[in-house]
Amino acid sequence: MKIPARLLVFSIALIARADTFTDLAAQATAARETNNIPRAIALYQKALEIKPAWAEGWWFLGTLCYDSDQYQIGGHAFSEFVKLDEKVAMGWGFLGLCEFETGEREHALEHIRRGLEIGTGIEPAIEQVLRFHEVLLLTRLGLFDQAMPRFMPFVRRGVKNQTLVAGIGLTALRLALLPNEVPDGQQALIAAAGQTAYLWMVGDDSKTEPAFKALLDHYPKAPGVRYFYATYLLSFRPAEEAVVELKHELEVNPRSADARATIALLMVRAGASSAAFPLARQAVQDGPQSPIAQYTYGLILAGTPDLRQAIEHLEAAERLDPASIEYHMGLASAYSNAGRHEDARRERRRSIALARESDSSGPK
Amino acid sequence: MVRSSLGKAAATCLVLLPAAFAAGENPCATCHREEARSQPHTAMGIGIQLPADQTVLKEHPRLTFESNGYNYAIERKDGLSMYTVSDGVGSLALPIRYAFGVSAQTFVFEYKDHFYESLVSYYPSANGLAITMGSERLLPHNLVEAMGRETSGEEMVSCFGCHSSGGVSQGTLTLESMKPGLDCEHCHPGANTHLEAVSQGKPPAAPSKLGVMSAEDTSKFCGACHRTWDAVVRMRTWGELNVRFQPYRLANSKCFLGNDRRISCTACHNPHADLVRDEASYDRNCLACHAGTSSAGTALQKSCPVSDRKCVSCHMPKVELPGSHSVFTDHQIRIIRAGDRYPN
Ligand code: HEC
Ligand code: HEC
Ligand code: HEC
Ligand code: HEC
Ligand code: HEC
Ligand code: HEC
Ligand code: HEC
Repeated sequence: MKIPARLLVFSIALIARADTFTDLAAQATAARETNNIPRAIALYQKALEIKPAWAEGWWFLGTLCYDSDQYQIGGHAFSEFVKLDEKVAMGWGFLGLCEFETGEREHALEHIRRGLEIGTGIEPAIEQVLRFHEVLLLTRLGLFDQAMPRFMPFVRRGVKNQTLVAGIGLTALRLALLPNEVPDGQQALIAAAGQTAYLWMVGDDSKTEPAFKALLDHYPKAPGVRYFYATYLLSFRPAEEAVVELKHELEVNPRSADARATIALLMVRAGASSAAFPLARQAVQDGPQSPIAQYTYGLILAGTPDLRQAIEHLEAAERLDPASIEYHMGLASAYSNAGRHEDARRERRRSIALARESDSSGPK
Repeated sequence: MVRSSLGKAAATCLVLLPAAFAAGENPCATCHREEARSQPHTAMGIGIQLPADQTVLKEHPRLTFESNGYNYAIERKDGLSMYTVSDGVGSLALPIRYAFGVSAQTFVFEYKDHFYESLVSYYPSANGLAITMGSERLLPHNLVEAMGRETSGEEMVSCFGCHSSGGVSQGTLTLESMKPGLDCEHCHPGANTHLEAVSQGKPPAAPSKLGVMSAEDTSKFCGACHRTWDAVVRMRTWGELNVRFQPYRLANSKCFLGNDRRISCTACHNPHADLVRDEASYDRNCLACHAGTSSAGTALQKSCPVSDRKCVSCHMPKVELPGSHSVFTDHQIRIIRAGDRYPN
């Protein structure tokens, strides 16, 4: 949004005349209340120069900027605001939303989450916005396993729009992009994958299988498609069938840490840990950001005397996906064997807490 | 746990081998006498009773029960136990091929190419039949449903996987080669190859030694059937229902130091011998960590201000497992105060 220059000159002239903080604050409020946004912004900025500890001022400056798409200034305003009052959930929330727009993704995620953690004082509609940005950020940062279950509440509530479906599709195919960053040539693929995942999440069995078949027919060689199908198969078919698909994935996507690690993990579960070892090791090398690779490698190491390394990798997995019960349990066991009993107990408590949470939240 | 010294075993085994085979003893007995003689007669060694050896049903030649308008009878005739269910109009009678368990017993039938788990089971606490745990809420509509609960192929694979040896191969039932109960090979993979090697005077190719596992790993090992801590969390079995899963309960106790073998399952239980029912016999296990004085320089924990014997009688209480007509021992060792709720 462009600000009319005429207005700008006018406001500067006005500001030049007012000099006390109280005056400025009053004028800023008046400008805001009469929807004179550029003028209000300039007045708030001026007033805040005089009194930087004015929390309310930063708040209004921030919201005005956010509403008028001036995310850089808005982000600065909210970062000043939370320094003065760190208990207001929406301060963190808006800070994160501004950072989302300016591309500071790690910070955006951290701050949105901080807002959500405080919990109180967020309107349900705004909470939805925060949660939606959170999940898009997780995908953008490659934290697909954390992202996927977070789409579920939207699906359950019947929300369905292009951005949501694209977000789900990106996550399903493990592409670290935002919906608006998808190259033109890939939009149809992503929408089809998102649509398929959506059906699976809704629990519409009669349509899910055909959707997968169509996806495989149309895009047999697109990276991520076979892996996605394999995770689906794993939910109800013998592991061997998933392994076939995972091997196809590696043909088209030879460095897929997720695919290789999943094969390794299935081997471990079948009792073939030593054969799985080189696969898991390579998966970790190819994809240190893949929690399943870190977990699988750590799990195999936990069966060797090298508990120290095992714990490092399991901790990495846990950091990458703190919501996975499996990673906490793997870590509990490794700590226990290493004699770190307090740590083991803490991980056990977390596992139980997570299991109980997902217990009450209905189908996964 | 008393165990034969292997050095001695190696020296004597070659001499004794033929004699042992002749006596029809477990072939491992020549060299691993302690384990091999008792193990086949333990609950785990038996696991399932086949018609000829159905001691529980032999001791109770006629059992009856009535539920939901159906009458049940189990009667022993000509070396077979027949399970009959009738509704006053018709009846269905099936021979009991597989009686699972040695104390409580649930029966498994093959009927029209499907497996069924009997709707009623034998429970020592009831001194007779009662509804099988898990089937309490079923309301049978016909004789077949009253006879038992139809099970999936997968479920039977798991039953025989935990209660028998050779009954499952690569995920499918192989009942032709099924031996009831757990044989040595089940817990000591490679034992049969080892036996062959030693019988032929070759290097022993011994199976890996299980006695070196940490407490944590032993819990996982036994948990393959008694359910691991992880499995219980995955199943989300909360409350008294998880008392039967000792690896879960034990790990939740403050006593559980995963790298300390004094708290491993096998510190208190010899898997080759019957479960010891004498409470006082477990005192030495507790005192290994909770004694007032140190002998071997091992780390010592606080001792009890209340008593110096029968520790488990107060710190490992018996809990009735809902629906099972059976009582289990809570392995979450702890101080219990009046009014405490069952901790998860
Ligand atoms: C002829 C004697 C002999 C027979 C019969 C025999 N073993 Fe052994 N077993 C040995 C010897 C000797 C060792 C020790 C080998 C070593 O230390 O390398 C051993 C080792 C073992 C071990 C590993 C124990 C350890 O401390 O390392 C297990 C378990 C075992 N045997 C089980 C069995 C089972 C089960 C059977 C029957 C299926 C069996 N053995 C039959 C002689 C025998
Ligand atoms: C392959 C499966 C399996 C494994 C592994 C296993 N168990 Fe068992 N265990 C069973 C079954 C099945 C029963 C019940 C048998 C019955 O009553 O017929 C049982 C029963 C028991 C009992 C009760 C005996 C009684 O008299 O009531 C004890 C104690 C026991 N197991 C201890 C252990 C320990 C300790 C380990 C690990 C060293 C272990 N088990 C490993 C399957 C297993
Ligand atoms: C994961 C392993 C596992 C599976 C699967 C399993 N059991 Fe068991 N079963 C055990 C263990 C361990 C015990 C002994 C401890 C207990 O009762 O929890 C046992 C105990 C029993 C008992 C009581 C035994 C007694 O002596 O009191 C019966 C009866 C029984 N099982 C029947 C079955 C039947 C029937 C199935 C299949 C529908 C089955 N089990 C599946 C492991 C298993
Ligand atoms: C339910 C599982 C189970 C079964 C069945 C079983 N064992 Fe074991 N066995 C174990 C475990 C666990 C240990 C280790 C005990 C310890 O921690 O000290 C062990 C230890 C041994 C040892 C000492 C060496 C070692 O590995 O530590 C021998 C010898 C042995 N068993 C022989 C046998 C024989 C012979 C049979 C069959 C008659 C048999 N076992 C059946 C679980 C089993
Ligand atoms: C500190 C000693 C101790 C340890 C360690 C221990 N148990 Fe027990 N266990 C007992 C006692 C005591 C009983 C009850 C004996 C009786 O009936 O009097 C028991 C009973 C059992 C029973 C029979 C069913 C029941 O709950 O009463 C099973 C099965 C069993 N234990 C399995 C295990 C397994 C598996 C582990 C390892 C995870 C384990 N135990 C570890 C002391 C111990
Ligand atoms: C491996 C060593 C070990 C063994 C074996 C062991 N304990 Fe413990 N026990 C501990 C440790 C460690 C603690 C925690 C001490 C602390 O927190 O200060 C503990 C704590 C306890 C407590 C206090 C628990 C509470 O709720 O505060 C009791 C009671 C207890 N043990 C009883 C027993 C009994 C009874 C047995 C035998 C059945 C036993 N312990 C076996 C190590 C052991
Ligand atoms: C008659 C029941 C009873 C028996 C038997 C018993 N205890 Fe206790 N024990 C208790 C009670 C009650 C407490 C809690 C005392 C308190 O804090 O008021 C306790 C406390 C303990 C504690 C915690 C001590 C502390 O300072 O925190 C340990 C450890 C313990 N018992 C171990 C044992 C051991 C080991 C045995 C067997 C040698 C045993 N107990 C036998 C009832 C019993």
